[in-house]
Amino acid sequence: MTRLRSIEELTALQERKRPLDKGKATIVIISSGTCGRACGSLSVIDVLKKEIKRHRLGNRVRLRITGCHGFCEQEPLMVIEPGNIFYCHIKPEDVAEIVSMTLQDGNIIERLLYEDPASGKKIVREADIPFYKVQDRVVLGQNKLVDPTDINDYIANGGYSALIKVLTSMKPEEVIEEVKKSGLRGRGGGGFPTGRKWEYCRRAEGSPKYVICNADEGDPGAYMDRSVLEGNPHAIIEGMIIGAFAIGAEYGYIYVRKEYPLAVEHSKIAMQQAEEIGLLGENILGTDFSFDIKIARGGGAFVCGESTALMASLEGKVGEPRPKDIHTTDKGFMDLPTNLNNVETWANVPSIINQGASHFASKGTSKSKGTKIFALTGQIRNTGLVEVPMGATLREIIYNIGGGSANGKRIKAVQTGGPSGGCLPEELFDLPVDFEALTEAGSMVGSGGMVVMDEGTCMVDVAKYFLKFLIDESCGKCVPCRVGLSRMLEVINDITEGRGTEEKLELLQDTAGTVSIASLCALGKTAPNPVLSTIKYFRTEYEVHIKKKRCPAGVCRELIHYSIREDKCTGCGTCLKACPHGAIAGKKKKAHKINDDKCQKCGICEEVCKFDAISIT
Amino acid sequence: MSAYVTLTINGAKVKAPEGRSVLDVALDYGICIPHLCHVRGLTPIGACRLCIVEVVKNGKSKVTTSCTLEVEEGMVILAHTEKILKARKNIAEMLVAEAPNSRAIQDVALRCGVKEVRYPFRNKDCVLCGRCVRACSEIWQSKSLGFVGRGKERHVALPFDKRPEFCKRCNACIDLCPMTITPCPGPMKKGEEYLCGLCESQLSMAEEIPDSCIDCRLGEGFSCIRKKP
Repeated sequence: MTRLRSIEELTALQERKRPLDKGKATIVIISSGTCGRACGSLSVIDVLKKEIKRHRLGNRVRLRITGCHGFCEQEPLMVIEPGNIFYCHIKPEDVAEIVSMTLQDGNIIERLLYEDPASGKKIVREADIPFYKVQDRVVLGQNKLVDPTDINDYIANGGYSALIKVLTSMKPEEVIEEVKKSGLRGRGGGGFPTGRKWEYCRRAEGSPKYVICNADEGDPGAYMDRSVLEGNPHAIIEGMIIGAFAIGAEYGYIYVRKEYPLAVEHSKIAMQQAEEIGLLGENILGTDFSFDIKIARGGGAFVCGESTALMASLEGKVGEPRPKDIHTTDKGFMDLPTNLNNVETWANVPSIINQGASHFASKGTSKSKGTKIFALTGQIRNTGLVEVPMGATLREIIYNIGGGSANGKRIKAVQTGGPSGGCLPEELFDLPVDFEALTEAGSMVGSGGMVVMDEGTCMVDVAKYFLKFLIDESCGKCVPCRVGLSRMLEVINDITEGRGTEEKLELLQDTAGTVSIASLCALGKTAPNPVLSTIKYFRTEYEVHIKKKRCPAGVCRELIHYSIREDKCTGCGTCLKACPHGAIAGKKKKAHKINDDKCQKCGICEEVCKFDAISIT
Repeated sequence: MSAYVTLTINGAKVKAPEGRSVLDVALDYGICIPHLCHVRGLTPIGACRLCIVEVVKNGKSKVTTSCTLEVEEGMVILAHTEKILKARKNIAEMLVAEAPNSRAIQDVALRCGVKEVRYPFRNKDCVLCGRCVRACSEIWQSKSLGFVGRGKERHVALPFDKRPEFCKRCNACIDLCPMTITPCPGPMKKGEEYLCGLCESQLSMAEEIPDSCIDCRLGEGFSCIRKKP
C-alpha cells in the first residue's frame, strides 16, 4: 500500500475503490466473528473457497468474510447479494449445493432459509426477517459491508470521509461542538456526555494528551464491543483519530481484553493498514496533525474496565481504581490529561460527523440520543446483538426482536446492565431503555447486556450468582466492597440454605445500602444492584425462602425435594440407571422411589425422565 | 507563604492552606471525622472509607472520602449527615467484625456508634488498611511490603515471603499497625469475640455532638491524628 500524502489522494482512493464489488456479479457475505467461528463458520468458508475454485467462479463471485451480523442464534449464516438471500445454520455439507444451486443457477434452497417461528413461513430476504426489521443498525449494520482485515473495503464504503471532513473544514472546537450537539453519551455504562468530556480534556493543562479506547468488556453475556472491534475496527480508529484531533491528543491506546484474540488480531491488522496508508503516524494526510495508536492487552481483570484501574494497568501498575476526586481528563494516564471512551462511543463518532449532529440527535429520547447496541442473552429465542434507538421499550426488544421466550415458559424478568445492573420484572417491560429511566428503576443501561429470565429462574439465586461474580472480580482495596459484598453473600447463602430470617434480610439491605454509598469505584457502588432490585421487585420470593423455607422456582438445592409421582411413573428404570448417587430404587414396571438420604438433588433424573414423573417441590 | 482557601465544614467557615486534605483540615479545627487508613504525611488511598463526607456542589451532593479530597475555595462539606453517619456506622461494624482483636478498631466502632455487631466475627489479623505498606515505601523508600492478590486473596506480604535485605528493621510498619494493641480486657479467642465498649462512658457527649473532637483519647497507641496543641 502506498502512503497517502494528502487529503485529495484519499478522496481519489475512495473513488477508485468504490467499484470494488461492482465488477463482480455476486457477493457472498459470511459472518465469521467469534460467535460465527464457534458455530463452525471457518470450515464452511474453507469448503466454500474450494467449491468456488472448482466451479471456476472466482471472477464472478466475491467472498466477503465479515464480523458478526448480530443474529448469533442462526450462525453460521450467509447473505448472498444481489438478492439479499439469507441462509442460516449452514453446515459444510450444504456448501456444494449452495454453490451449484444458488450461485450458479440462481435458485433458492428452501431448506436453509430462516423460518419465522411466529408464522412458520420461510423468509428469503435478510431484510424481511423480523429480527432485523425492527432494528436501527447504525453501527452494527456496517459489519456486513466490510471485511475487517481489508482497509480498502472500509474506504470503498465511504470510510474516513468523516476524517476528511474534519481535517479540511473543521476546527477542533467545532468538532467538539458537533459531538456536544449530537448528545452522544458514553456507551460503556457511565452515560457521561462525550462532547463535554472531550472539552474538559482539551482545556486541561499538560502535554502530551492521550485518548484511550476501552475495550475491556467483561460483563457476563455482553459482547457488543467485541463484535464491533472484530467486525469494523476502522470505525473505531477513525473515531479515535477525530477525537484526538478535537482534543489535541498525540497518542492513543486501545485497551482490549486478552480473552478477545480475534478482536486483538483484527484491530492490529487495521492499525497497521491505517499506518501504512498514512492515516496514522506523523503528519496525517500531509497535515500538521500527528497521532499514533498502540494496542494494549488487558490481563483479564473485570475491574480494569474501570477507567482509573485501566490507566493504572496501562502504566504497568496493579489494576486498582483510585478516587476520582481529580478527573482523568485532568490527570489520567501517566498523570496527563486523558480522554477515555468506550468502543461503541468511538464507533459512533464518524457517523455523527458525516451525517451531522442533528441526524444523530433525531433518534432517541430527550436526554439519551442515538442508537445503542444490546446483547440479548438468556432464555430468549433470538440470542444476539440488537441495535435500537435509545428509548425503545424493553418489551419491544424482548418480544419483537428477541422473539420472546425460548422454551415457551413465561418471561419473568430481564437483567440489564451486566452484573452491576438490576433485575426488572415483567410489569416494567414498558419502560423506555434510556440512561435515566433504567437508573430510576434500580437498574442501569450499563454497557448493554440484557439477560432474559423465565419462570424457571430463582431470583434469589440470580442475585447470589452476580454477587459471587463481583466478589471474585472486586479488587479488594476498599472495605465496603471487599468486606460488605462477602457479608452480603453470607446472608444470601443463609437465605438459600434455609437459615434465613427477617432480620437477616434487613441486614442484607443495610449492608447493600452502605456498599452502594461508600465504595470507592463504580464497581462497588453498583454491586448491590442485583440484590436490591430483586428484593424490591421479587420480595415475595425472598419471603417464601425465609418463611416457608421453600424455593418457588425449584433451584436452591437445600430447599427443594425430589420425588417420583406414582401415577406417572411407568417403572422404565431410566432414572434408576441414570442416578449417579444410587438414590433411586424400584422394580421394573412399578413406580420407583427416591431415597431422600442419598439424593443429592442433581436433577439428572428429571432430565432423563420421559414421562414427566419427577416432581420438585 | 502558601495560599489559603475558605471552605465550610458542617456549617463552620474555616480557612485552610491549599493542597491540604479535607480530613486534615477538619481534624486541625477539632472537627472529628473517624478514620483508620489515613496517616498524616502518607499518600491517602481511601481504602477504609470511614472518613466519607458529602460534598455539595451546584446543589448536588456527592459522597467521597475526605482524606483524598483536597480543599477548594468555597467548598461545602457535610461530614455528619444522617446518610453518612449510617454508612459510617455500618462500615465500622464490618471492620470490628473482621478484626475485633484491635483496640483501635474497637474504639473506632464505639466512636461511630456501633452498639451491636450483626455479622459473625471473623477475627482476622489484618484489615488491609495499607498503613504499613505506605509507610515502608514512602517514609523509608524501602518497599519491603506490598499488597499481593486481588479481592478475597488480597494480603500484605514481603517479596517472596522473605524479609528482604533492604528492610531497614525500622518497625514503622508495626508502629502504625492498628492490630498491634489488643482491646483492654485482653486478646479475644476465636469464637469468643465481642464488642468491647468499655470506654462508652467517655462518649456521652460524643453522641450528642458528633462533630466535635472530645479529646476522647480513643485508640491510644494508634492515636487519633489530631494535632495536639
